[in-house]
Amino acid sequence: MTARARLLWCLPLPLAAASLLIGPSSMAAPGDVLTWLLARLGLAPAFAPEREAIMASVLLDVRLPRVLLSMLVGASLTGSGVALQAVFRNPLVCPYVLGLASGAAFGAALALATGWLPPQVAAFAGGLAAVALAYLLARGRREVSTVSLILSGVIVGGFFTALLTIVQFLSDPFKLQTIVHWTMGNLHAASWSRVRSAALPAAVGLGALFALRFRMNVLALGDEEARAVGLSPERERLLILIPATLAASAAVAVSGVIGLVGLAVPHMARMIVGPENRRLLPAAVALGAAFLLVVDDAARSLFSFELPIGIFTTLLGAPVFVWLIWRARVGWEV
Amino acid sequence: MAIVVRGLGFAYERAPVLTSIDMHAEVGSFTALLGRNGSGKSTLLRLMAGLLDPDAGTIEILGQALCALSPRQRARLIGFLPQQHRPVFPFSVFDVVLTGRAGHAPLNPRREDEAAAHDAIARVGIEALSERPYTELSGGERQMVMLARVLSQRPKLLLLDEPTAHLDLANQARLIGLLRELAGEGMTVVAAVHDPNLAFLHSDAQIMLARGRVVSTGSSRPPWARDVLVEVYGEEPWTLPFGDRSIVLPGPRRPERATPS
Repeated sequence: MTARARLLWCLPLPLAAASLLIGPSSMAAPGDVLTWLLARLGLAPAFAPEREAIMASVLLDVRLPRVLLSMLVGASLTGSGVALQAVFRNPLVCPYVLGLASGAAFGAALALATGWLPPQVAAFAGGLAAVALAYLLARGRREVSTVSLILSGVIVGGFFTALLTIVQFLSDPFKLQTIVHWTMGNLHAASWSRVRSAALPAAVGLGALFALRFRMNVLALGDEEARAVGLSPERERLLILIPATLAASAAVAVSGVIGLVGLAVPHMARMIVGPENRRLLPAAVALGAAFLLVVDDAARSLFSFELPIGIFTTLLGAPVFVWLIWRARVGWEV
Repeated sequence: MAIVVRGLGFAYERAPVLTSIDMHAEVGSFTALLGRNGSGKSTLLRLMAGLLDPDAGTIEILGQALCALSPRQRARLIGFLPQQHRPVFPFSVFDVVLTGRAGHAPLNPRREDEAAAHDAIARVGIEALSERPYTELSGGERQMVMLARVLSQRPKLLLLDEPTAHLDLANQARLIGLLRELAGEGMTVVAAVHDPNLAFLHSDAQIMLARGRVVSTGSSRPPWARDVLVEVYGEEPWTLPFGDRSIVLPGPRRPERATPS
């Protein structure tokens, strides 16, 4: 492992520690948190019992799950983005661009509104349906081109957003507020139960992607090239798409649509460790966790009110997308 | 026999490309496939590589039916070099070559897979390119990289589609030399080539295709015979004697300029 990759791996830890210090509560300013920690270690006088209870609640029940959730969501969206880009041989796709996030959001919203299925399961089903639709629409007769896949992703994303709007339209006002807030891409409602519900599918998804990262290199060279060296591209694509969708839908189910993280962060990681997926995937996952932590810190501390984080990431990611299109010189004929 | 093809037929959406092809190649031989554009050379190679399924006939590789082999078994026996390759991600040359080991490695490449990739790179003589991004190479350099990728599979059978297409004169000579060397070591080489002279001078056998049929396998009449060349290329050939064979010159015959000494 290179020094750069090692640095990336260590990045989330100090950031997570620093993020625990940040928050709107005046009772738990950075200085208070440090004294509280020292007190817990017996190095400073203990807090008064009421103050102690508030500190413990702010740090352990509010900030810690939020820090963990933003890392989990950042890592899942980025890992998924790296995998999607490799299997579709397309540096311009991510869960958001492909419509996967909209499909998962529709599934989760339907589950929230009706209670038929657990949101995680419904999000996975919605995400899988969206990826399959986008791919089949783009495939036509021949190989999938860069632009046609993006266009079909736009259509599929729009389709599922429309379905999501129907769910919202038919929901009662109380549920509507929850759903709308959640769809904007929000880590505001982070809780231990959300961390728990996302942890398993995210870990399974990312673990499978980690195991298959060399196969991503093989697929990224093309279908015929993969077949010539003994892999079935259709089978491998499916094997990679399922965990990629699982990880991304797990993120969407707990945090709504946080756009373009899965597009922008893999490219940042490529600039640091190069495009080879055996090195790229772990580095990008670590960077994704760190990235979303920082953006979330900004989202909850820059203004006196909290902005949904999805707005931030989409505003940051859009110029990256434009730059990538410009650099790849993607024309309509490609 | 390394390859035995019997009664092979193939059609793309009802447009027949190959009709009742019979051919064979001996172990350790270098066979050239010749024919005009669209005569079915690439399709025949793809069928022998197991990348397409025939509509009729059988293919045997080293005594085993090709269709009975699993994709991984096939990848260990047969290496296939496609005509051109369009990369998307700027992987290093070494990483591209290493993907050739996908049929050998369980999930991730092991030490022996990396060693095989290094050997293949040395064999093709592109060590200097090893860390360069593949996307920044010229067409000819890419061709050499893809050849190293195929060799890293350590196949028994090497199928190449126009391997000299993007190569300069020196690299063509190097490639042909390498193919001869590999054949000498017992690898069976079949290559589609456009340059008939390259085939006539350097290959052990020549299979001439025209409109999806075998015109000549060189056993009854030499492939440089006038009637064979007319049948394959549809033009009156301009041939010059060259030792015990002939060479063919492109373009219309211009006897007043031809001054063979």
